[in-house]
Amino acid sequence: MLTIKSVTKRYGDLVALNDVSLEIAPGEFFGLLGPNGAGKSTLMSLVSGLRAADSGDIFVSGQNLRDASGPLRHELGLVPQSIALYTDLSAQQNLELFGQLYGLRGKELRRRVDEALDAAQLTERRRDAVKTFSGGMQRRLNISASLLHRPKLLLCDEPTVGVDPQSRNAIFDHLQRLNREGITIIYSTHYMEEAERLCSRIGIIDHGRILALGSLDTLLAQLPFEDEITFPAKTETEALAGELGALGEITTIDGTHRFRPPAGFPLSRFFALAEARSLSPRLFTSRRPTLEALFLHLTGRTLRD
Amino acid sequence: MHPIFVLYRKSCLLFLKNKVAVVITFLVPIILIYLFGHVFGLYRTESGPSGIRIAVVNQSSEPAATELIDALRKEKAFRLVTEAENADGTKRPLTEADARAAMHDNKYRYTILLPPDLVRENAIGVHLKFLSDPRNEIESQMVNGLLQKTIFTNVPQLLGKSLQLQAKRLIGQENLTAFNRTVADAVANHFGGDREKIYQSISGGDFGIGALTSHKKGQSTEGSAGLRRLDTTAGSNPGNAAPAAVPASPTEESTTEKKAGGFLSRIVSFETEQVSGKQVSNPMAARTVGGYAVMFLLFALSGSATSLFEEKRSGIFQRILSAPVRPSHILWGRFFFGMTLGIVQLSALFLAGKLFYHLDLWPHLLPLAVMTFAAAAACTAFGMFVAAVSTSPDAANGLSTLLVLTMSAIGGAWFPISMMPEAIQRFSKLTLVYWAVEGYTSIIWAGQSLLEVLPTVGILLGIAVIVMLVATWCFQRNKMFE
Repeated sequence: MLTIKSVTKRYGDLVALNDVSLEIAPGEFFGLLGPNGAGKSTLMSLVSGLRAADSGDIFVSGQNLRDASGPLRHELGLVPQSIALYTDLSAQQNLELFGQLYGLRGKELRRRVDEALDAAQLTERRRDAVKTFSGGMQRRLNISASLLHRPKLLLCDEPTVGVDPQSRNAIFDHLQRLNREGITIIYSTHYMEEAERLCSRIGIIDHGRILALGSLDTLLAQLPFEDEITFPAKTETEALAGELGALGEITTIDGTHRFRPPAGFPLSRFFALAEARSLSPRLFTSRRPTLEALFLHLTGRTLRD
Repeated sequence: MHPIFVLYRKSCLLFLKNKVAVVITFLVPIILIYLFGHVFGLYRTESGPSGIRIAVVNQSSEPAATELIDALRKEKAFRLVTEAENADGTKRPLTEADARAAMHDNKYRYTILLPPDLVRENAIGVHLKFLSDPRNEIESQMVNGLLQKTIFTNVPQLLGKSLQLQAKRLIGQENLTAFNRTVADAVANHFGGDREKIYQSISGGDFGIGALTSHKKGQSTEGSAGLRRLDTTAGSNPGNAAPAAVPASPTEESTTEKKAGGFLSRIVSFETEQVSGKQVSNPMAARTVGGYAVMFLLFALSGSATSLFEEKRSGIFQRILSAPVRPSHILWGRFFFGMTLGIVQLSALFLAGKLFYHLDLWPHLLPLAVMTFAAAAACTAFGMFVAAVSTSPDAANGLSTLLVLTMSAIGGAWFPISMMPEAIQRFSKLTLVYWAVEGYTSIIWAGQSLLEVLPTVGILLGIAVIVMLVATWCFQRNKMFE
């Protein structure tokens, strides 16, 4: 569906994308995970044709974006990060406007608008001004407006920024339904939970480079540890933390120590060390590593840095 | 720290951070104060208008006519035109036909005709003809006053000559010579001097009137003080800047000047002819509607163009440009919207003028429509330019306020540009307001046809094209659509 070959994009001295290559198959729900400024939006803007790459090529359905014009744009749908709607106009007027930009007219346009309103669960509010909608309703309409022309590839650029959990879940359901219907989705986010929940394959990006690529399991398998034990950074746990440094990887973030023992490290040994310092077992939590841990492992920084 | 002081300090910080607010608060008024200062002569040792082109057609053989022209030439408010250009580039003395043609083309708005009977033989006094196009009332009144002042204070010999001719007609040359001799003898006996020289002077028409009227030379350019309006004659529109035989500001005159002026105004005959605008039913509205309409349109279109920033901020451009849409489509869409808004707004303003002030629109519908099209195009391009060179909506609003008010001031929307220094007048023609005002006044006031206003239409469209090209370049440079 989408092939990105050695794409580089600079803004002055800043290298936003550095020799990025990527292949996305039809029907995939691909996650692009990285902190703010990693290059996600730049990659989205290049794929959607808003900007041109300094070097490299992008192919959509086998066609080079550089040589393509109108028809190829029909295959792409972009959900911008912000609410890209005319808030003084009604939901219906917005959808009609954006549909017309893709050449939809007459009955076909009306039918697609009805479908989009239905998908966004806004049929009852179709004639209300968008500015009267809740944030979640606006977000749903924001997505529906990108689907009017039935794109094969949907680019979602952090579509849940600033959205409450309930609305976020509704958006996830909506996107997963679309994906099941066959639309290929590229979903950029800096929330690892979203990538883990939605995406069949994830690319971790930082400083304009793809650091890791694969399914969640494949990515986590890259970690040199199988478990992550967290405990609060307190005076009484400092000695233990110091000792664990010699046994595995330990980091302290936001008042929490995270200990990642090497593969094969017996947890009984860890608890023996804790017991020797009369530390309650309730201080400790053991869990499977997350993408956050992988990102930390790869970059030495958290996704929020 | 007390909350009131904290909040006060916060307001100060926010104000200082908002450069646009600072500009609107300080820079805009300062610029306008500067311009108005020039208009009202605050910076000049000699205030009043400047650079007003006045044509002079000399049909008289009187030497005093040449003196009168020289006197007019010395008047700083005027730029005299006395010659016309032949097809081969050579010059010839200006004729009445030349002057009328040029006035029709608005090359100048006033002409003084010094007729063959400048000094009349059958009546006491001097006869001049004055052609005026009072499309700007303030300017016309100033010109009328300045002309009378110049004539009254600089060429009294004309009157003496006239008196001599009348005396000759009434009592004959022999008696007149005897009379002049007697007066010369009396003057010589009482005040001394060469008897023959005094006789020659009196015979030449010099009765010392100049002493009554020219004692204020050098001070008398002060605005319209001490000036006389010209006589009302047939053909003038009652609502126009009709010259009248009343002092413009009698309270500012000295007693001597009052006497001299009153005397002179009775014996100097101005035959005044208004060459255009006679048919206008509401001259004041006809003069002002164009300037104000264009000013309001500029504000409206600048405001409209700044909405581009909102579309960019909200990501709508991203959405639109990811569709089969190019940036040029967005710009042209915006341009045509501006054009429509401009045409509708101007039409509404003119219709309001028709409704409230009985503006004559119907006879000029076609040229008005074309001029409105051109003015709307130029104003829309201006709005796009403001959006293109600004970095934020606030900056665009500040810049448009500054530019619209300045262009309106120096473009002649508020007051005649001749009231400003000539250096500033040169910039007037660079503003679209100037050309729009010229165009509308030519149509509504002077009744010019579409063909006659086509050059002005062309200039406005030219401004629209150039400004739009610059705006497009700036949009690309500022990456408005990225």
